[in-house]
Amino acid sequence: MVAENSTPHLHSAVEPKQTFRRALDMAARAAMPSLFVMFSAILLSAPFGIPGQAQLQFGIAMCTVWFWAYSRPRSMPALAVFLCGLVVEIFSFGPPGTVLLSLLVIYGVAHHWRYGLSRLGFIAGWLIFSIFAALASFFQWALVCLHAVALLSPAPGLFQAALTIGIYPSLTALFVWGRRTFANPDQA
Amino acid sequence: MLSIHARQVLAKAVLPILILLAVGLVLLGLVRRPAVDGVRLMATDFMAPAYHGLVWPQERAKVWLTDLRGATDLAKENARLRDENRALRHWYDVAVALAAENGRLKKSLHWIPETVPQYVTGRVTRDDGGPYSRAVLLDVGSGHDVRIGDVALDAAGLLGRVTEVGPHTVRVLMINDDASRIPVTLGSSHGDAIMAGDDTASPRLIFYPQDHHPVEGERVETRGQSTMPAGLPVGTVHYSAPNRPVVVPDADLDRLDIVRVFDYGDDDSQAPDAPGRVRVKKLPQNPLTGPLPFSWLPNLPDMPGRGGQ
Repeated sequence: MVAENSTPHLHSAVEPKQTFRRALDMAARAAMPSLFVMFSAILLSAPFGIPGQAQLQFGIAMCTVWFWAYSRPRSMPALAVFLCGLVVEIFSFGPPGTVLLSLLVIYGVAHHWRYGLSRLGFIAGWLIFSIFAALASFFQWALVCLHAVALLSPAPGLFQAALTIGIYPSLTALFVWGRRTFANPDQA
Repeated sequence: MLSIHARQVLAKAVLPILILLAVGLVLLGLVRRPAVDGVRLMATDFMAPAYHGLVWPQERAKVWLTDLRGATDLAKENARLRDENRALRHWYDVAVALAAENGRLKKSLHWIPETVPQYVTGRVTRDDGGPYSRAVLLDVGSGHDVRIGDVALDAAGLLGRVTEVGPHTVRVLMINDDASRIPVTLGSSHGDAIMAGDDTASPRLIFYPQDHHPVEGERVETRGQSTMPAGLPVGTVHYSAPNRPVVVPDADLDRLDIVRVFDYGDDDSQAPDAPGRVRVKKLPQNPLTGPLPFSWLPNLPDMPGRGGQ
């Protein structure tokens, strides 16, 4: 995968004129990943009765932050990750702060290793993501146990980790397409 | 304007600062959880109309599907409903007879009528359990008088208790949540027990008398304690494994829609300070030495020890 500026043909000597409308379009395209996380978090907090809704909130946020942090960090700055995490925290009822902290840690890892991750194949990237998704779920489970002062069943945490790892390929396909088209600020 | 170096330092410091803030939120959640949940409740209050709008197409689709299923098999459905109606008529007659008998018995016993509890009815706004808890948010409208500890029931039985109260929304911790402990009474073995949620569909029964084990299929009702009234239907006993009695709840915990929250009031009936005891006057240390003071009474033998009543 290519880290940034995936559309070199657009970086010609002749740049489009910078108008207010173009700036707005670019900002909207750059904010697309963050808006996707926030919109998903709010949508999945509605009482649809879908099994695993809360776990899906966590999974979508983790996959999105991971992909965009190494793929195009300009579209997912640390402050945007923090805001996304806050929105997910507000619209979920898990132990406070765990999703936010997990998102920031996974962002830090992906951002720090972005050059290496971009060179790796999809499967290797997925495996590394799986380890961090499992660790984040374990951390959440440990905090819940600490809060309840009891050893709770780890099954919900395992399910959450499995769901997060499972939806990663399909979300990556969507994001790869989005990175070329609707979420590409260079095409504004 | 900041220098390039200063900007680089600032850019590197942003993530650690944000991580520190997140750690602060985790610690805040551990020590002051109600404060965080209060913010979440406010957000849900704000979003309640949007949730109704989001769920509306799903509800309509469910109604259409039900209608469609009914339309495809009208004759069979009619026959089933006729049978059910016949059975319900029988149970209606039984209920009327029992109500009349109950009334007569209460009258003959001079039964003091219990106070009618206040209640509000609300629609489930959202299931906010998350992976590790079982709870729902109810939209009870403004101006409600719901308090923490009030009892929530659906049409069939006990659902849980109110744990957080917002301006329009209340949070109900369900009976199968891991933090839920409800004192219950068993119908036929007459033992008391605690119903403990364990995040599964059927809460466990613990602390039951070892000489009166719960019986398979017997009714489970609430035991009166604090704001929890006695006799609310909870479910039936079922042994999921040997020596592991669980309660199969009457309430449909998975598909909640309309829920009533009852306020049974505080338990202000206080026991007397020393029940069954009468304060006894302390006897004088020295026995009486002289003649008794009431020796002037006729036919009273002059013996010590009769004066200290």
